[in-house]
Amino acid sequence: MNDVSPEVELGSVLKAHGISRRQFVKFCSLMTATLALPPRYVHAVVKALEKTTRPVLVWLEFQDCAGNSESMLRSPHPGVGDFVLELLSWEYHELIMAGSGKHAEDALERVVRDCKGEYICVVEGAIPTEDGGVYCTIGGKTALDIARHVTSNAAINIAVGACAWDGGLVKAAPNPTGALGLHEAVPGIQNLVNLGGCPHNPVNTAAVLVHYLTFHELPALDQYNRPLFAYGNIIHDQCERRAHYDAGRYVEEWGDEGSRKGWCLYKMGCKGPEATYNCPAVRWNDATSWPVKAGHGCIACASPRFWDTKSPFYNRLPKVPGFGVDVKAEEIGWIGTGAVAAAMVAQVIGNAVRDKTRPKDLEDKEDESSDSH
Amino acid sequence: MRRTRSSSSEASWKDPAPGQVRVYIWELPIRVSHWVMVLSILSLSITGYYMHSPYMVAGGRTAFVMGTMRFVHLLSAFAFTAAFLLRLVWFFLGNRWARLDQYFPTTKKRAKGLVAVGKYYAFMAWSPIAYIGHNPMAGAAYVAVYGMVIVEILTGFALYSQVLGSRYLNFCIGWLPRLIDIQWLREIHFLLMFGFWMFFIHHLYTAILISIEEESGIMDSIFSGYKFVPEDDLRKDMAEWDGPPAQLRTVPSPVVSTEARGSGSPPAA
Repeated sequence: MNDVSPEVELGSVLKAHGISRRQFVKFCSLMTATLALPPRYVHAVVKALEKTTRPVLVWLEFQDCAGNSESMLRSPHPGVGDFVLELLSWEYHELIMAGSGKHAEDALERVVRDCKGEYICVVEGAIPTEDGGVYCTIGGKTALDIARHVTSNAAINIAVGACAWDGGLVKAAPNPTGALGLHEAVPGIQNLVNLGGCPHNPVNTAAVLVHYLTFHELPALDQYNRPLFAYGNIIHDQCERRAHYDAGRYVEEWGDEGSRKGWCLYKMGCKGPEATYNCPAVRWNDATSWPVKAGHGCIACASPRFWDTKSPFYNRLPKVPGFGVDVKAEEIGWIGTGAVAAAMVAQVIGNAVRDKTRPKDLEDKEDESSDSH
Repeated sequence: MRRTRSSSSEASWKDPAPGQVRVYIWELPIRVSHWVMVLSILSLSITGYYMHSPYMVAGGRTAFVMGTMRFVHLLSAFAFTAAFLLRLVWFFLGNRWARLDQYFPTTKKRAKGLVAVGKYYAFMAWSPIAYIGHNPMAGAAYVAVYGMVIVEILTGFALYSQVLGSRYLNFCIGWLPRLIDIQWLREIHFLLMFGFWMFFIHHLYTAILISIEEESGIMDSIFSGYKFVPEDDLRKDMAEWDGPPAQLRTVPSPVVSTEARGSGSPPAA
């Protein structure tokens, strides 16, 4: 196919890494389940992955914390990361590649030139646009230029993490660097999959790649170009603490009895009811746990602009604009209602005085001259 | 003198005083819509406040407090929406006093009346100005209230569409959460509840006040539909009405007024 990706059979590569066929099939089953495909598709996935010619992948990092890379790599052996690393030929990933400097940049350039329209581009991190994009440059080129150049020649583009999707933390107010998500920085970008979340869940990312390798197309996407299998359901509806919510048992403060018994975190500001993600099903660290199971409310990290729209993370509702930081919405409501009640009491007193002081002859006079209605 | 019911001792509570007529003002759909709104706002507030901040701890193994609260909230929300839609329809099918011009003070006369009523509430006038339907200030206040109703219904259904996941509801209201984040919709939905409470306090106060000051039976009228109004006022009011001919249900005073006796044909000798 090309000189950067020597064709190696996947089976022998996996064997060289000590991954048995049984483990490979288990991985395929996990991917099929994550994609919400019926079990009979496991066979198709196994067959397709066995025959894969290991397409080239480049992983670009811009304004990021490398958290999505870490999330991908830090999984027990043989983890999702192992499979994904072997299924594809990773030609460029700053965090894990051996090369550096000019050689590394040459490798990226070679992929864009030789594998035009065939490679997979993964983007991690937001892209600054303020002041000509000087706040993130690699090898003398701005992130914006690199993103435009690499994504426009890729077969598919995958934005991993909140920052690459919609700017994430970097774009949160006041956004000094003018950071943008990939689809905003490169308008009209083709074949884009957004995998929001802070960080992305590597199982979902692997599933998107497996879907592409198996069916040669992208999974069904929502209005934000996010795969429906991962972002189509509300966290609250999949939560193991949901029964406590419906029953009316809530954690009132951290460490209280309800907290120890695993009651619902609704009153602690959990954003599960307004967030969509498959976090409760797929979970993290080899499906060990996820935030709510661990006792912390969801912060809706896979929701649009979540730093700005879902904070404060420990309150049910956002701060009301124009009032102090610690003034809650219900306090404003009760005070307003009380003020109206007080005004009505004042009116009652005023009317009592008016009735007592109304001149006796006024009524007849008003009766004769009143034509105002 | 003020023509009041109490000025005629022979009259029962249903009989208008001399010079007065008992007029059917609030038609049945208006009263139904009013009371369904009252009850549903009560129920929506109780359940909605719980949904915002669960104010009691459930006991027992089979508790379903939040589930029940949400169910009642939804049922009440549908009743509330239905009542509002009925009221909307009656803006166009109702009688003279249910029409839109009673609400928006667009005419010069209504705008002037708005100021005059404001003066009464600011203690700059001795007596309230009697209107057969809504006074211009009340009408304008109801415009604001119906505005709040619309916002509550839209934000409520937007929140419901997220829970329900129905493509039909999403098609109708799905645009709203894309414009305004769901958290802000929740905030607006919650804060406006207090707007209804404020309005309720004020509304009850003015209804009692006008009932006492005008003695027009305004408090009874939201149950029976009938108000007691001076005959002259009704005649003037109907003269201004250029809509479809009104089917008035009026009950004249059984006691022949002195004016009527004076202007009528002399008794046969």
